[in-house]
Amino acid sequence: MTRNWIARLSCLLVLALLPLVAMPRNVDLATVPTRSTVQLTIYNSEDLTLVRETRVVTFKQGVNPLQFSWANTLIDPTSVELKFREPKIGLEVLDTTFPHDKPQTLYWNVQSDTNHEATIEISYFTSGISWAADYLAMADPEEKTLLLESFVRVRNHSGEDYENAQVRLVVGTINLVEKIAELAKLPVGRVDELKREEYRDLRQKAARKMMAPAPAPMMEIAAGAVAADAEEMEAPKEIIKEGLSEYFIYTIEGTETVPNGWAKRLRSFEASGVPMKVEYRYRPREYGDQLTRLYLLKNDTASKLGTTPLPDGMLRVFRANGRDGLSYLAAQNLKYVPIGDKIELNLGPDPAVVFELLKQRVYRDNLWFQIKGGNLYRKLGEDGLKLELDSQVAGWDEHTVYRQRIRNYTRKPINVQIRREYAGDIVFRSRLNPTLHDFQTVQFESEIPPAGKVELDYEVIARMGYNQKQNRVELQAGDVNR
Amino acid sequence: MNRTRWLYPLGILLLLCAAPLDVLARIKLTTLPVRERVEIQLDHPQIALVEEERIVPLVKGVNQVDFSWANTRIDPDTLVLRILPPPADQSMDAKVLSVSYPPNETALVWSVAASASGAVRVRISYVLGGLSKDFHYRAVADRDEKNLNLAQFLRVNNNANEAYDAAEFWAGVGGRFGKPLGLSETKEVQLGRFASVPVRKTYTCDPLEFGYLDRAQDKLNVPMHYVVKNAGGTLGQEPLPEGKARIFQDDGKGGSAFLGEDRGKFTSPDDELKLYLGLARDIAVRRTVDRNERQRIAGNLYRYDVTLKYEIENFKDAPATLDITESVRQIRDQIRGDSGRDPEWQLGDGSLRNPDPEKSDADKLLFHVDLPARAADGQAQKLIHTLRLSLNNEW
Repeated sequence: MTRNWIARLSCLLVLALLPLVAMPRNVDLATVPTRSTVQLTIYNSEDLTLVRETRVVTFKQGVNPLQFSWANTLIDPTSVELKFREPKIGLEVLDTTFPHDKPQTLYWNVQSDTNHEATIEISYFTSGISWAADYLAMADPEEKTLLLESFVRVRNHSGEDYENAQVRLVVGTINLVEKIAELAKLPVGRVDELKREEYRDLRQKAARKMMAPAPAPMMEIAAGAVAADAEEMEAPKEIIKEGLSEYFIYTIEGTETVPNGWAKRLRSFEASGVPMKVEYRYRPREYGDQLTRLYLLKNDTASKLGTTPLPDGMLRVFRANGRDGLSYLAAQNLKYVPIGDKIELNLGPDPAVVFELLKQRVYRDNLWFQIKGGNLYRKLGEDGLKLELDSQVAGWDEHTVYRQRIRNYTRKPINVQIRREYAGDIVFRSRLNPTLHDFQTVQFESEIPPAGKVELDYEVIARMGYNQKQNRVELQAGDVNR
Repeated sequence: MNRTRWLYPLGILLLLCAAPLDVLARIKLTTLPVRERVEIQLDHPQIALVEEERIVPLVKGVNQVDFSWANTRIDPDTLVLRILPPPADQSMDAKVLSVSYPPNETALVWSVAASASGAVRVRISYVLGGLSKDFHYRAVADRDEKNLNLAQFLRVNNNANEAYDAAEFWAGVGGRFGKPLGLSETKEVQLGRFASVPVRKTYTCDPLEFGYLDRAQDKLNVPMHYVVKNAGGTLGQEPLPEGKARIFQDDGKGGSAFLGEDRGKFTSPDDELKLYLGLARDIAVRRTVDRNERQRIAGNLYRYDVTLKYEIENFKDAPATLDITESVRQIRDQIRGDSGRDPEWQLGDGSLRNPDPEKSDADKLLFHVDLPARAADGQAQKLIHTLRLSLNNEW
């Protein structure tokens, strides 16, 4: 059963009996114009949906009271607006009244120049409707390409059924100064008590940017499309993606009915044969203290993607096992990916690759002493130097020799990239042709053949205490002192 | 019949091409396509992925396919419906249009468009909670403890509130196998059998890891291990997943005796699986610090010369090898306290001067010491070994 709590737009017909400001009465007569169209613009960064609905109302010359009520919904009462779509002139809202004895109700007094029928538009913010993206990635058995499917899921817990609604989804982060769900609980008169007078302007300013011109009646378009395609197999609905200001708007083709309590998931796009690369990375700051396996791809047209940024959403990765079956690899929260940017799918550690760091030797040299706690420093080993007990070690170079051993038990060669971060004044000595990722992070790479092993040797020289002159890593080509 | 009382089967709404509101009303007439095939993928360390294949009749137009999973722990966000390619002589095309999730139900409704009436083969995959696995091992060593026969078992525990009359399992290692799996059942199968695997029996003393048997008398614990290398023969092709291992020994009378058990760690190919079976009380090791001298180099900079002495007796009738393991850092901390720096050390001219290069590093030293069998008169020979270390540049 459809519960339509908002459709309570009442035009009081016995106008002569009414004063200019509508008053509550025990005996009333009302007509209830139904919705002609409804459009939902849903924001995923906030609990906010802009609803725009049109209705056809007959006005008589003079003042016409209209009642609008929204019992048991999560509408922000301060956001309700009335506009006249057709005709645009000859109609004017004289005032808006929020009666004290009828919660979630307002009255408009509309001045009409003549007797005529008009299309009115009512817009308001509601909470309880949300959308989220999610993704499904399936690698081929050889892990050369990927099938990437993107979905949008709309959830309706607003208390209101929206039938045949045009649904638009906003990708982006807007600013709100109040939560709609909180405002929905307050009588209008008490909103002022919040002493945040500008909230409405700010919020609407952000949201109105999203408001394109009113759509054509979507039901008619949808009906026409169905009729034309009656002989064809129905295709999944297209989701049209358009950029707007700092945001992206996804418009779902046709209309959707999302009853209260339900959720609906639609495919946003599907890209097959997306080229990808497998890489192993050791980056403790990003992936924790483990060698991590990644699928790397790009959100660009060369990769059969790049038509839209990828909104934040849960991404699940599977690999086809070549026998019609799948292996579950990982789930991760994909962060917003702009068009042209890279996509990294973190699959976690691979048990078929063994990554071991061996500390092989530690030694110290270049020892400096502070003489008797003063400002004089002397190096150990200087001719004729005699250091008494009250001279303290103040500086030294700490040498640590490491061996990074990597064993590859997969059936393919693998690329491994290693980043190690060192604080302080560091010399990194090796024959590994390393580069600096930043001033204190060394990066080096290696390829390991299938069923092969590599051993990467390096020496880290930390200048400590008095010897520390800098705070950076210096790369030095040389053999390690084993 | 593959249907169970808990996982309600797929339902196909016969009111086809109907408006979505027909779905919303939740009054439906359904056909019940049975499971044709089930695969349970257990290759992920924590997660069980179930894949069901069913043949679903569709009519031309839009079909509503209802899937529900009352009282089971299916992760609905992982549900994937894949329509498998039709046979070459069939031109039917089908596509998923959308998925709807009704309120307060563990169910969903796929909206599937078909180009013609007919049946399609679909695969439904989902992550199922409550289906877990573990590995365990059973090994029988021969009389002289040089080889053992190792068997690897997989145990699947079904607490998922769902039964599978016939399912094919894949655990990431070993072969695939088909078995039924009932409600709340645990199924155990042998995944692998490795015959005549060389085993090394080791005796170890390591004060840091295994501690003292009698601290007042400086007597160390000497645990006995079986060490199996995951290499050679049929081993070494795959890692050995972690699991409990029970070790038996052939008693020479057609039976076997239980020697002990341990939790085996995940062992990559070429690595060693080391199983602690118990303490060896017939090998006695006393460890004392025989020398501890400090020499000032300059200012507050010192060198420490340390000698550790080991008095070792083997009361066994057979010779043995003792692995002496030391942590230089622990020795340094014991001698002069923890300075927070790694120790810088040099081996001196003690009897222990050739550590195993593969298993020693900047901190850990491992020496193999051969112990003769006790003499014919029952007397064990007391061996004295020394480890001399210079701890340099300490302050």
